[in-house]
Amino acid sequence: MHRPTLDIDAEGRPLGTAATRLAGAATLLGLLAIGGSVTLGPQVGWSIFFRSYLLNYSYFVSLALGALFFVMLQHVVRAGWSVSVRRVAEMIAGTLPWLAVLFLPLLVPVLRRWSDVYPWTDPGTVQSDPRLAAKAAYLNVPFFVIRCAVYFAVWSWLALAGLRESLRQDDTGDVRHTQRAERRSAAGLVLFGLTVTFFAVDVLMSLHPHWYSTIWGVYFFSGSAVGFYALLIVLLVALRRAGRLTHAVSSEHFHDLGKFAFGFVVFWAYIAFSQYLLIWYANLPEETVWYRPRQGDRWWIGVSLLLLVGHFVVPLLALMSRYPKRRPHLLVVAAVWLLAMHWLDMYYIVKPRPWLEAGASAPLHATDALLLVGIGGLFVAAIVRRMARWSLLPRRDPRLVESLSYENV
Amino acid sequence: MDVAAHTGTVANPPRLAALLAEFASPGALVTAAEQVRDAGYTRWDTHTPFPVHGIDAAMDIRRTRLPWVVLIGGTLGCLAGLLMQWWMNAAGPEQFRWVPTFLQGYDFVISGKPTFSLPANIPVVFELTVLLAALAAVIGMLAMNNLPRHHDALFSVPRFRRVTTDRFFLRIDAHDPRFDTQRTAEFLSSLGAVAIERVETEEAPARWPRPLVVTLVVLAALALFPPLVVAKARLSKSPKPRIALIQDMDNQERYKAQQANTAFLDGRAMRVPPAGTIARGEWRDDAHYYRGQVAGDWALTFPPQIRVDRALLARGQERFGVYCAPCHGLGGAGDGLVHQRALQRDTPGWVQPTSLHDPLARGRPVGHLFNTITNGIRSMPPYGDQIPPADRWAIVAYVRALQLSQDARLEDVPPDRRAELR
Repeated sequence: MHRPTLDIDAEGRPLGTAATRLAGAATLLGLLAIGGSVTLGPQVGWSIFFRSYLLNYSYFVSLALGALFFVMLQHVVRAGWSVSVRRVAEMIAGTLPWLAVLFLPLLVPVLRRWSDVYPWTDPGTVQSDPRLAAKAAYLNVPFFVIRCAVYFAVWSWLALAGLRESLRQDDTGDVRHTQRAERRSAAGLVLFGLTVTFFAVDVLMSLHPHWYSTIWGVYFFSGSAVGFYALLIVLLVALRRAGRLTHAVSSEHFHDLGKFAFGFVVFWAYIAFSQYLLIWYANLPEETVWYRPRQGDRWWIGVSLLLLVGHFVVPLLALMSRYPKRRPHLLVVAAVWLLAMHWLDMYYIVKPRPWLEAGASAPLHATDALLLVGIGGLFVAAIVRRMARWSLLPRRDPRLVESLSYENV
Repeated sequence: MDVAAHTGTVANPPRLAALLAEFASPGALVTAAEQVRDAGYTRWDTHTPFPVHGIDAAMDIRRTRLPWVVLIGGTLGCLAGLLMQWWMNAAGPEQFRWVPTFLQGYDFVISGKPTFSLPANIPVVFELTVLLAALAAVIGMLAMNNLPRHHDALFSVPRFRRVTTDRFFLRIDAHDPRFDTQRTAEFLSSLGAVAIERVETEEAPARWPRPLVVTLVVLAALALFPPLVVAKARLSKSPKPRIALIQDMDNQERYKAQQANTAFLDGRAMRVPPAGTIARGEWRDDAHYYRGQVAGDWALTFPPQIRVDRALLARGQERFGVYCAPCHGLGGAGDGLVHQRALQRDTPGWVQPTSLHDPLARGRPVGHLFNTITNGIRSMPPYGDQIPPADRWAIVAYVRALQLSQDARLEDVPPDRRAELR
């Protein structure tokens, strides 16, 4: 059968100086937005400021973690189809060292021991609360800092080692890089599972330290994967607009990314419902307390229902058919929608204040939006800066040919 | 001829079913298939030892409609799961008395949830959706492929046996509208067929293989035994204990209500509910309705929930006949069957049941009568646990009517009926 010839170097050539300028602008915008939000800090209150920060920080770190998971999974199963989309995913995962730096501000409320953000950091609160005192062996400030340092060390190493290995192969074409990546990814996925679970527990679940859910790490991971696939689809469509990857990434690859997005949307709903069902059925006060502020007033009931419909029902129906998955201009609409819904999921997790009765706090703040632009700007800049310099395709990967000729049956 | 002798029909001569063309390579087969497609044939097929790339397009095979079958199966599973759980626990058996008892639901309260609550239903709905979608996929796939079938005329062609190893075949059916034995054969050889064979079939009723028939008959006969055994067991009596198929469901390791258990300080297995606990449906704060009292005194009137009418009196008469008449007698004179029997047997210490027409009984407020039924009086036992409050009030109403009937004056009878009394 006739196949068009493909110029791999043209397909994957770096974006160049225009993109460097774009990255610079995004950095500037991000820094300005963060600065603006800091000046608003005293006005909205610092505990609210840090919740806004945590909300948006969790959002972008989850996207990068989804990318890290994807890249390692592709190596472990020796996937052929995904090679032509893998470099972009590697670049998304490559933001993790930067995200480690952006985590540092979150240590302020921890080290200053503000019970409004993490109640378990405040010695007075812990002393008067036997349940927190019982958990103090794990939930204490020094151990928390050590754990977070371990998480970011592991993630930065996995992401950077993967990206460097892949970039080096562009020059050498040596198969041993692929073999090394496979071995590292096998161990890396185990580390990933542990670190992501504990990270979700430490940073998000401990906002309400009385509450616990054993499925919490999986819930965070499932949402991260949804967000990542959506982001990858958006970036690939944008790169095709810029004249890259026009043939190397075909409707076949979009079809598969759409399937993954669809699958993880259902997985997310499955996990979210599993958590809800058990808590709803047992109806124990120490468990239902998490849902109490989230179903307490009209605003949060609305957010909960919007998640149910927008994060599950709508994408379930939109992505079920083969038709939109094979058409990038349709798939990207669903992807943008899923990115918004994943943000809403993080908002639903982080913003309700556990110690207050429902309706006692204003649910939306200017800092939410400013820090979305702020952290988002730096996040995008970190990706685009790499896109400006490096090939967008693993051009000498041994499985690239398999990926380019890939067809769904 | 064997067939004709057995079935009494005349076997027709062999009939042409299809033309079968053999090709040497998958490439040649794909090219040939494209030509056959372009020539406008519709009833034809290809047979290969392995999936051949591009054959779908060459044969102009449209996308399968199987996903729609799966969608319908899944939707049915979803609805069936909802309907089943609604029927089993939420339909409310009292509204469906006409349904046989063994098909009725339960109306259980589980964990204090509503009897029909979606979150609890979702796991079952989900599993049934998946199950029926999967079954629809498998059965639909078989049906759309005309499977299973135990014979095809193609198997009578010796050359066709190599289709599972290294040969590629294209078959055009004789009932294709464009089929013409001569011209189709020429067309096929022009496509580069290595060989062309006539596929012939005998116009005879397809006979099932004898071993298969024997097996099916034996299985069908054996299948009758279990229902027969069950039917016999249901219709006969036996002194032996019944067979417990699932032992740990029949004999559960658990404590019964009155057993001892050292795990608790008071040594009782049965836990006492916390003080002030009220069972579901047992909240009785209406003193008039439940105890026959108004402001600490016996109620002189019926509670507002009770409408004294003919239906209430009829109900009261029926209940009175069931619960009261055995002792008090149908007329309420205290001469029921129990009393008569006690006199017959000369039961020592027997006290005659009170006559309801006794001035004392006649003067009791309705609340007192209600309380007497509920809690008993002197040697009369309490009936509060056996008779629901509404029925107790109905009996009270009937007792009042009974008392009036034995204490009436002529003026109480309507003038046009007075003549009947003489």
